[in-house]
Amino acid sequence: MNKLKLNLGPQHPSTHGVLRLILELEGEKILSCEPDIGYLHRGMEKMAEKLSYIQYLPLVDRIDYLAGFFYSELLCRTVEKALNIELSKRVKAIRLILLELNRMASHLLWIGAFLMDLGAVSPFFYAFRERELILQYFEKVSGQRMMNNYFVFGGVRRDIEFLEDIEEILKILPEKVNDYEKLITENPIFIQRTKNKGILDKNTAFNFGITGVNLRASGVELDFRSGDYLYEGIEFKPVVLDGCDSYTRYRARVQEIRESIKIISQALEILKSEKDLNQNLLNPFTLSLPEGEYIQEIEAPRGLASVYIKSTGEKTPYRFKWRTGSYYSVNLLRKLLKGAYLNDAIAISGSLDIILPEVDK
Amino acid sequence: MNWAEFQNIFSDCRLYGDKIVINSNLLKTVDFIKTNYHFDMLKEIIATDNGDGSFELIYRLFSPDDEEDLLLSINVKDETESVSSVFESAVADEKEIYDLFGIKFIGNTELKRLYMPEGWVGHPLRKDYQENDERLKWNE
Amino acid sequence: MNYLYFLYIEFLAKHNIPQLFGDLTFYIIPCCIIFAALLVVVLALVLFERKLLGWFTQRKGPNRVGFWGILQTLADAFKLLCKENITPKGADRFLFNLAPVIIFVPVMIALGLIPYSSEFTFMNFQTNLLIFIVIGAMPVLSILFAGWASNNKYSLFGAMRSVAQILAYELPIAFCILSVAVLGSSLNLTQIVYAQSSRLGVLGWFALPCFIGFVITFICMIAELNRCPFDLPEAESELICGYNTEYSGMRFAIFYLSEYAMLFANSLLLAVLFLGGFLSPLGKFLSPIIFPPEISGVMVYFEQAFWLFAKTFLIIFVIIWIRATFPRMAQFDLLKFSWAVLLPVSILNFFLMVIFKYLTGGGYV
Repeated sequence: MNKLKLNLGPQHPSTHGVLRLILELEGEKILSCEPDIGYLHRGMEKMAEKLSYIQYLPLVDRIDYLAGFFYSELLCRTVEKALNIELSKRVKAIRLILLELNRMASHLLWIGAFLMDLGAVSPFFYAFRERELILQYFEKVSGQRMMNNYFVFGGVRRDIEFLEDIEEILKILPEKVNDYEKLITENPIFIQRTKNKGILDKNTAFNFGITGVNLRASGVELDFRSGDYLYEGIEFKPVVLDGCDSYTRYRARVQEIRESIKIISQALEILKSEKDLNQNLLNPFTLSLPEGEYIQEIEAPRGLASVYIKSTGEKTPYRFKWRTGSYYSVNLLRKLLKGAYLNDAIAISGSLDIILPEVDK
Repeated sequence: MNWAEFQNIFSDCRLYGDKIVINSNLLKTVDFIKTNYHFDMLKEIIATDNGDGSFELIYRLFSPDDEEDLLLSINVKDETESVSSVFESAVADEKEIYDLFGIKFIGNTELKRLYMPEGWVGHPLRKDYQENDERLKWNE
Repeated sequence: MNYLYFLYIEFLAKHNIPQLFGDLTFYIIPCCIIFAALLVVVLALVLFERKLLGWFTQRKGPNRVGFWGILQTLADAFKLLCKENITPKGADRFLFNLAPVIIFVPVMIALGLIPYSSEFTFMNFQTNLLIFIVIGAMPVLSILFAGWASNNKYSLFGAMRSVAQILAYELPIAFCILSVAVLGSSLNLTQIVYAQSSRLGVLGWFALPCFIGFVITFICMIAELNRCPFDLPEAESELICGYNTEYSGMRFAIFYLSEYAMLFANSLLLAVLFLGGFLSPLGKFLSPIIFPPEISGVMVYFEQAFWLFAKTFLIIFVIIWIRATFPRMAQFDLLKFSWAVLLPVSILNFFLMVIFKYLTGGGYV
């Protein structure tokens, strides 16, 4: 049979940006897959070498526009740790709440987009309806819906307000998530499309450097939140499911939304008891890191994100390196799509939660 | 991991800060660490231009069982061994480093331009990279 | 139709116009009626679907053009009319242009075969049903042309999927329709409708004895219409838009509208075969309360047409509801579902219906 070369993307409705997959097909069966990335490259690492830390901070949210808080937290954290700055309890709680809200927003969008990839129209709108609550809250707090630029070195831009909005979100979301589960989780066609599709076992996941929900859905209890200083004194259980397929990855994300709700409600308690913001802001214009190498990590919605800064004591870093989760998920597609069928390919690549600006940096 | 045991096998390595610095035998060392100490994951490869024509490559190995990091550092010129036979994720990292630094990894067959267009001259993250050249005129 | 013919001839005779003129023009009128009605219905259907989908997903749907968004589809059609028609490089120009032209033909013929009321069937043959089955599978030819001629891999995939799907789903539908023919002892749609008449209204419908057949026909119909959850040939998230990826402007609009026309024609057929067609669901006892017996003549036909359209729109509503709920099936599961589940069950259902007919002798209510 003749082989057919198919360009999936870069302009394709379900590649979540501008991913290009060069597929070799036999009928509808995929013989090989070659991801081609770089259509969204903005030179984040090169820019960092030219800009001072405070100039670079607003750009960082753009690395993953759906989870911008995580990346600005990561940069702030690296600078703070390098300069040995302690955050007050209230600042920590504020950051924690915003991060977890952001994680929920990101997972909600993923649920909608994933179901859209599978051909269901409605969940997209339902998920966006709830995400809208969170984004509106972000707007109230930081003035922006997506590129918030709210964390600064040594604290946050201003004190958090409108706690009743968060309580409202926490009250509404569990019901709505139950609604999604009713509509999606037991849907026979959905199960048919996702169960035993895109199987990612533990060793393959390690080998390909997969982290985050995708790894935990393969039965590995590895959550970088558990060693994180923001999560000290917060009780939470990493969502670990042993199914290794797209269906499990979906269920893990839904459960992670529930887990985030628990974390936020605990952080809210801290916020109510600690009234004093007590920030320790740095002067951004004289800011420079002492000579040395600094590595910090955070559990972003799409896997482990980490930053490496090599400083020579100047105002700009000597070398700045991002590690993002999606970059490795794209690499994994080469293996997962081999032998799959064309319409499964969409479901599998959707289930890994790839976001292209994060891949291309 | 047991540092003394490790040093017995690889005599030319030393500790520098929290990094283990090796001079050669990159692939063998990585393979050894993976099989004997269960550092199953390669979080990332960090490349840095030292400014004197050599590059520092830091391999961030990770053991999921102990949740422990291990930094393996090596100084290379333009060429080094690929660890993609041990860690599949290294394929992606090495592709990126090849594009941005121009370091060739022997054994990685997928090295080509990743972010920069085909036929682009130079590697942007090198310290000697010429920036204000003809190709960016359209942008002004 | 005979009745209408006599009315027409009488009307002409009153005005001293020769009968020959009447004979000649009588068959042009229904064509015009069908064409005009079809356009109106299709435009309305597009709006209906968009509004419903909007409500299902807690949106407003189209609400800007005209009151309540009524003119939205008209505006869309007008916009598409003004757009440039692009023929891709390397396309088979003849087939590429032919495909949208011929896609409307089967729909028009199919609509002519439907009994809208007891006297109002444009083409009333003894074997209406068989012709409908044959005609109903014709649009796939146009889809195949479109996919092949576009010189686009996605279009080709869409066309191939479409052919495989229609082949797989045509057989179960044929067996189910045959079992209806057995129950109604006829291949004529009007007679099948009359066979469903009973004093108790709903109880006489074939959807009751032949419930399995009804469900299978419904599923297969959705599959043949390429609608969700069987919309693989034009899966937006996989094949971009399948066979009509490369079409633009009015050609795309024709494909788009013909889908809705097919939806309408097939829903009409389902209503005729299983839901008693133009018969009132209230039966002969209750019907006169709502529609008093004084109304007669042409008004009777309007009542009958009203019931038929009400049932049709109910079916279309359910189809849209399904679209708002389910994700898309996978290609292999789709074919397996037809060959391994639907086909055996529909054959079994056919024999069951034959036995049922033999035992009851037809008059079971």
